[in-house]
Amino acid sequence: MKGQSSRFDAGAGGQPRGSALDRTRPLKFSLDGRVVSGFVGDTVLTALLASGIDTVGLREGSPLALSSRHAPTIRPVASDDRQALAMERTPATNGAEYVTPARKTAGNPLLRLFPPAGRSLNIDLDRLDALARPWLGAPAEPGPAADMLVVGGGVAGLSSALAAATRGLRVVLVDASAHLGGRTRLFGTQEGEESPGEVIARLTDEVAEQDAITVLLGAEVFAVRSGIARLHHVTTVEGVVSGRVVDIRARHIVLATGALERLPVFPGNRLPGVVGALEAFELAQLFDIWPGGSTLVATSSSPAYRLAMLARDANIAVSRVVDSRAVPQSRFIEFAKAYGITLAPGTIVAAASPAARGRGLVVLPQMSINGFTRAEPEIGTDRLIACGGWQPDLTLWHMANGESIWNSTLGLLEPHGSLPDIALAGSAAGWLSRSACLSSGGEAVDMLLGRQQRPVEERLIDPVYETPDAVTPVGNPPEDNTPPAYLDGGRRYVTRPAEQVSSWPGWLPFAPRPQGWSLADTPQALDIGDIAAGVQLGAIPPASAGIVAQERVANVPINAAPGATRNDVAGPLPLPPAWLAGRYPGASLRIVVPEDEARTLDPGTLIFSDADQSDALLAIGVIVRIVDDRAVALVRGTEGQVASAREGGRSIDIRLASSLGPEHGA
Amino acid sequence: MTESHADFAVLGSTPLARLLAGILAAVHGKRVVFVGESQASYRLPRGIDLSVSAVTRPETWALLGRGVPETTKLLTRVGGRRAWSRVDPVMFSEAPAGRVALAHVRHMAQAFGHAAERARNQNTGRDREGLILRDAVLLHRPMLETVLDKWLGRLAVRRVGDGDILTLHADGSGHVLAGDERIVIRQTVLADDAAVLAHLDKSSWPGLLHQRIRSTISIEPTAPIAAPVMLGLDNGIALVQQAGKGLSAMGPGAMDPLASALGQLLGTEGAFRQAGQSSYQALVTADGAPAVGRVGGNGPDVLAGLGPSAAFLAPAIARWLCGVAEPAESAWFGARLVDRQFDASPVAEFGGAQ
Repeated sequence: MKGQSSRFDAGAGGQPRGSALDRTRPLKFSLDGRVVSGFVGDTVLTALLASGIDTVGLREGSPLALSSRHAPTIRPVASDDRQALAMERTPATNGAEYVTPARKTAGNPLLRLFPPAGRSLNIDLDRLDALARPWLGAPAEPGPAADMLVVGGGVAGLSSALAAATRGLRVVLVDASAHLGGRTRLFGTQEGEESPGEVIARLTDEVAEQDAITVLLGAEVFAVRSGIARLHHVTTVEGVVSGRVVDIRARHIVLATGALERLPVFPGNRLPGVVGALEAFELAQLFDIWPGGSTLVATSSSPAYRLAMLARDANIAVSRVVDSRAVPQSRFIEFAKAYGITLAPGTIVAAASPAARGRGLVVLPQMSINGFTRAEPEIGTDRLIACGGWQPDLTLWHMANGESIWNSTLGLLEPHGSLPDIALAGSAAGWLSRSACLSSGGEAVDMLLGRQQRPVEERLIDPVYETPDAVTPVGNPPEDNTPPAYLDGGRRYVTRPAEQVSSWPGWLPFAPRPQGWSLADTPQALDIGDIAAGVQLGAIPPASAGIVAQERVANVPINAAPGATRNDVAGPLPLPPAWLAGRYPGASLRIVVPEDEARTLDPGTLIFSDADQSDALLAIGVIVRIVDDRAVALVRGTEGQVASAREGGRSIDIRLASSLGPEHGA
Repeated sequence: MTESHADFAVLGSTPLARLLAGILAAVHGKRVVFVGESQASYRLPRGIDLSVSAVTRPETWALLGRGVPETTKLLTRVGGRRAWSRVDPVMFSEAPAGRVALAHVRHMAQAFGHAAERARNQNTGRDREGLILRDAVLLHRPMLETVLDKWLGRLAVRRVGDGDILTLHADGSGHVLAGDERIVIRQTVLADDAAVLAHLDKSSWPGLLHQRIRSTISIEPTAPIAAPVMLGLDNGIALVQQAGKGLSAMGPGAMDPLASALGQLLGTEGAFRQAGQSSYQALVTADGAPAVGRVGGNGPDVLAGLGPSAAFLAPAIARWLCGVAEPAESAWFGARLVDRQFDASPVAEFGGAQ
């Protein structure tokens, strides 16, 4: 594990055993000339994180963390954008050489002669194309034939695929990760249920036995319309990794895209060292990655306690779990108490900042109960796991024109209404328990096929014993000297406006006014987490959250035949055009000739009865067009009459010549 | 239940609707009810507000010649100076019909004192004819909406809220039930496309008005375009580039075809990234000219097809609605009544639905 400072030592008494890794097969690859170590089973991203590289670069002077939702594109050395790959979906392969094509921040020119070092990829995040994904605009090739496409390989997607195959349909099941099963492992088991591992193993075995199901892993769907989805698929053939854009046409589509973890909004919420509970869990569970020796957990949702216990099992110090809920109850909490973990209910993270030295963070907790707030002593920690609860991932649903509405109680967007050929299943549809997610997969298929549906039963533990999630915590507003507070942790950089500090009382007329916050002018798409945070912060009215989410999703055109232009009518142009009708009552079409034959006349030139006139309202005609090098005018007057054309402020003497005849009536 | 009376109910969410409501109240002393959402700060725009457009009729240029300074003075007075700016928009065309129209627009603009000049090829792209109009006024909707909403509040313009019930009658009158209050409305003004589509009875739908799908696409920052505002005559696409180089594009058609047309227009097919998109129904008139006045002669007032310069006509529209318009204004509105005959229309403009 040389060079992998954030990698767990598996089997040293800790629970994580890197189920995705083959530790008997170490590998090395290079990125931007820097040699990175890993194991077979790693992605490029996880190998970087295991090696202590946790920073993408600087944005407005503040470092931003590297994560599965915020990772730059890579491509093989000596290739171009057509070979671009997503590092979070690219398997690490021995001997591969990659570069990040994004512009780097300027540094000491001499240092550029040496391989990069340190924790950052040094990408200039002030450029909005820093994390561009070139495949979004690439042409697509046709994918495997399907009657039903299932997007998402979690338990709901797996059960949808199986239900569809059982009903005789050809199914394509796609998932962005390298493994089926989704994220159900974090959420534990209810009494009488199969364990997450058992459910996943059973369903994946059944899928493998179905010839009618084609599974595409490493495939991220980035656009959906009725009957078609476009995805970017990373594959490895004979050790060579490549990506391609594929269109999958299917009459029916099930979106089992799961739930996204919300980012609590506080200054410093995307600093390196801050990570979501789900990502931290997957990094530990699948890849044995846990940077640092001390961890603070801040949550509004009970599964984060499970993660804290996992850390303790691995001999990692969890200094405290702060919970925004005033009196949280959960079986996980009881276990955590038994582990001796310090709990702080009714507390949120108000702000975080980089530690003065080293990689750590300084976190400012704040007691926050029913409007009462009190700052608590700062806590130093290597890692802050910040869990803001869960938001159904409706990104593709919105792209397909699906609707959603804001649930004020839960503080999230939930799907609303239906689409004719597209259905939601699992957490994306708003289901919470694993049993409901499982049965919702089959229910979505039956709904699309117009078959009798069986109602899905949500099986939740009584709130007395399992406190529901709280809405995503919102900490202090940022100030000039604090890191930004981002609304979400993805590729967008929408921040909460900084609070204006003034020594003048606000009632004075010259006191600075709060700046208006116009998300309409934000020149970037808004992820669903941005929308939810925007509602919580009052920038978007709850009633409009659904329509704004639909409008601001990062859509990509698929059915893109250009429309006909409005006025490119074939054939000769009408003479005069309709928009000159009635302009000069009694006028007719005539050739007009400049007295100075060397002069030419432009279309649109106004004609006046004499050179002293210049009021357009008193014009007697206009040069309509040049036909066969002759100026054709719509003008009142008779053949031989002298008039004046006015062009660019100058008068030109002209003579009205022959009429164009009755076929050109005005 | 108490009962009160309003002279006008103005329905719409555009700057024109707000300005009209405010001017009716502030300048003409009318009692006004306003029915419109405040959403410019978070919804995608459905139009732009520019003091110039592809107008070929001299009487319209004359009307704008008075309306633009009147409107900007008003905005400055009510605290909206930062809500408008001067820009040099470019109109362009590559189709023969559009090139001819562009030449007519240039001469007409010059005749009314505008600095109008041909754009060079590098500004518009090869094989395109372009026209630069200097010193046009562009309104900034999110900022303007906040300013005008406060102004309407100061004027005691009654705003219909979510819980209030609005009822409109075929004769243009109506009433609002707001709690235990009933507000009787003498005349309704449907001041934008959404209001017309939502409230105009289909049985009395004027043949002049056609529904069309339009879309708005917001694009992440891209290379600078030739001008902060560009208007394509051939395809009706309007491009607005903000200070941060983000781009808003509005035009006819559904989202994907518009995105494709934009790719061709910008020479970046497939290479730009959408930051937002929206499709909606809009109105166009058969002859491309504005449509104003009472539907059927005695129904609600309709304001449609006024184009990007609609907001700058608000003072004139208010005078006309109050019966104090000047003769030239009355003639302009009288020639553009919504029930007019539109075959060989004597007010037709470039880009009509027929």
